[in-house]
Amino acid sequence: MALKDKKPKLLEVEDLYTYFMTESGVVEALDGVSFDVNYGEPVGIVGESGCGKSVTAQSILQILPRNGKIMDGKIRFQGHDLVGLTDLQMNKIRGRKIALIMQDPLSALNPVISIDEQMTEVIKLHQDVDDNEALEIAIQSLDAVSIPEAESRIFSYPHEFSGGMRQRILVARALALQPELLVADEPTTALDVTIQAQVLEIIKDLQKKQDLGLMLITHNLGVIAEMTQRVHVFYGGRVVETATTEDLFSTPQHPYTRALLSSIPSFSAEKGRLEVIPGFVPQLINPPKGCRFHPRCPWATEICKTKPSMVDLGNGHATACHHYDKLEEY
Amino acid sequence: MTTEEQHNREPILSVQNIKKYYPVKQHAILFSRIVNFVKAVDGVSFDIYKGETVGLVGESGCGKSTLARCLVKLEKLNAGEIRIEETDIVTITKRSEELAFRKEIQMIFQDPYSSLNPRKLVLDIIREPLDIHMKRMPFEERNQRVYEILNLVGLEHYHALRYPHEFSGGQRQRIGIARALILNPKIVVCDEPVSALDVSVQAQILNLLQELQEEFDLTFLFIAHDLSVIKHISDKVLVMYLGVIVEFGPTSEIFKNPSHPYTVSLLSAIPIPNPAIEKERIILEGDVPSPVDIPPGCRFSPRCYKADDDLCVTIEPQLVELKPGIFCACHYPEKDKQVIKY
Ligand SMILES: Nc1ncnc2c1ncn2[C@@H]1O[C@H](COP(=O)(O)OP(=O)(O)OP(=O)(O)O)[C@@H](O)[C@H]1O
Ligand SMILES: Nc1ncnc2c1ncn2[C@@H]1O[C@H](COP(=O)(O)OP(=O)(O)OP(=O)(O)O)[C@@H](O)[C@H]1O
Ligand SMILES: [Mg+2]
Ligand SMILES: [Mg+2]
Repeated sequence: MALKDKKPKLLEVEDLYTYFMTESGVVEALDGVSFDVNYGEPVGIVGESGCGKSVTAQSILQILPRNGKIMDGKIRFQGHDLVGLTDLQMNKIRGRKIALIMQDPLSALNPVISIDEQMTEVIKLHQDVDDNEALEIAIQSLDAVSIPEAESRIFSYPHEFSGGMRQRILVARALALQPELLVADEPTTALDVTIQAQVLEIIKDLQKKQDLGLMLITHNLGVIAEMTQRVHVFYGGRVVETATTEDLFSTPQHPYTRALLSSIPSFSAEKGRLEVIPGFVPQLINPPKGCRFHPRCPWATEICKTKPSMVDLGNGHATACHHYDKLEEY
Repeated sequence: MTTEEQHNREPILSVQNIKKYYPVKQHAILFSRIVNFVKAVDGVSFDIYKGETVGLVGESGCGKSTLARCLVKLEKLNAGEIRIEETDIVTITKRSEELAFRKEIQMIFQDPYSSLNPRKLVLDIIREPLDIHMKRMPFEERNQRVYEILNLVGLEHYHALRYPHEFSGGQRQRIGIARALILNPKIVVCDEPVSALDVSVQAQILNLLQELQEEFDLTFLFIAHDLSVIKHISDKVLVMYLGVIVEFGPTSEIFKNPSHPYTVSLLSAIPIPNPAIEKERIILEGDVPSPVDIPPGCRFSPRCYKADDDLCVTIEPQLVELKPGIFCACHYPEKDKQVIKY
């Protein structure tokens, strides 16, 4: 095991603390987040609204809003810590090595600039190519996401494309430079089911072809099940469970993951009542002490008022719960 | 319920060939003229029986919300009939009859954020339908009804004296439900009531709707784009494409053996939250066509994996009963197609 771990992972986030300073107090958005992504691996990040998924993406790329700050922790990319790099140094990594597709995709393209300019600009920034070569690369990547007649349509403006096509253009732009890691923050949430399926299929296909590490952020457990091999479950600014996608769905080992899975309508189950997680998603200004899920957890006892550490259960499965070994009895 | 039993009963809601077209106007300096029509609902018929939950699915822009608004008369129809227990509500003109009908059918809206008046207290928002319909009921009694209904939807009495912005998304949806139920309607049209909510809150609202349905014997028309929600909550499902119904029947049958190629494609597109379930992949090419230029023949033919270039592009297929209780509008319906393998 120790030998195998020698090669650095594609991405290793270790004990990351990101806070926001606001008028009403400090928002402890990330409170010691640790997780990793292997080379060429599609990994899912899942959790309810406000649990820190987007802030994690923003921290990795260091595009936090002004009032946000990484307080502590490491973000190792191919073995090198990104925390503390200057903007100039980060510019060499952003787009080139780590590409991002943002949560609000439809506003990510500038409506008054034609697609060819929006794409070649990024390519020229990172590669030593002339205008023609950049255009060639751009057309090829539009081809790869199945934009018909890419050679001519590349000169169009965003409004001339449908929502699904614009999202595919963003995928093309993100992948044109053949990055090693694609961070996709809810890339299909704004899209229709059939268009979502088109875009996911393309991301999956390119991920395999380019051997891309994928960090797919979503609250849709269906998307997680279809797209990823491993999952990190977030709750209240922490990772509470990590497992292979298969294990996570078949044998979840954190009370929150269990509650989350049983609160979604399942396809096989008969009509009946869904299980409900009592209480509310925690406030991150004055978060609950200890395990952040304990006020809503049926297993909670005194000890849950202290912070649980991640327990390794084997086969890459880990959970942050004091009572992980008693969950079966419940 | 068996089909036979159903044939012996009268539907609580019967919709016959309804159409809703929106004019597309071209603006000139002094006047504007109608150049075309958005055929949002283009000839829809179906029956719903008492106590049923009928799901309505389809891609964005296919006309689901327009259909819902037609049913509660928020839109004026271009053609067609809507009957609630025998009464044709489209032709009603008398004010008293109009009010009586409005009591029977109510709507819950998609967006729990914008559908509530931000300047009114929750008490006034929920009481408003009573103020309109039950003017003779003493004011105190009306308020009393609001407090009763707050209880039913899982809110506290003190919530009545707050404003909508002080509530979370799930709580606001509860307010919308309370408002829709205060007149004891028979039919409730729910337009994506859980789409804007987080999964755990979504589960609470779905459970609440089911409890209320059992308690008051409500009939639901339930719109959602999340097919696992539809599978969970509905007894029957209506599949809509570009303004028309392409398939209608019992939910379990349709999810097991979809007949219309569009239903097949739709089922194959949804991400299923269970890696153990296998699914056939049919990726639909292209986008939903515009409801202004509806393709000739079968409207789904340009995206259909089965379409030929003869029948399908010339003759519009009608909704016919393929098997008892299962209706489909396709020249070449699937027979034993299984998309989702449990
Ligand atoms: N600029 C900001 N100022 C203050 N707090 C912020 C800021 N951005 C995010 N937060 C807080 O950080 C926490 C995590 O937010 P984040 O956007 O990462 O959630 P998320 O998991 O992406 O949720 P969603 O699924 O809704 O996108 C939330 O409590 C949020 O309110
Ligand atoms: N008031 C209106 N004026 C003109 N066109 C309209 C109007 N309302 C809706 N439409 C058009 O009618 C069609 C159907 O819209 P509708 O809102 O019913 O779709 P939907 O199925 O509810 O979609 P979604 O899933 O996005 O809510 C769309 O093309 C829409 O642009
Ligand atoms: Mg987010
Ligand atoms: Mg709608």
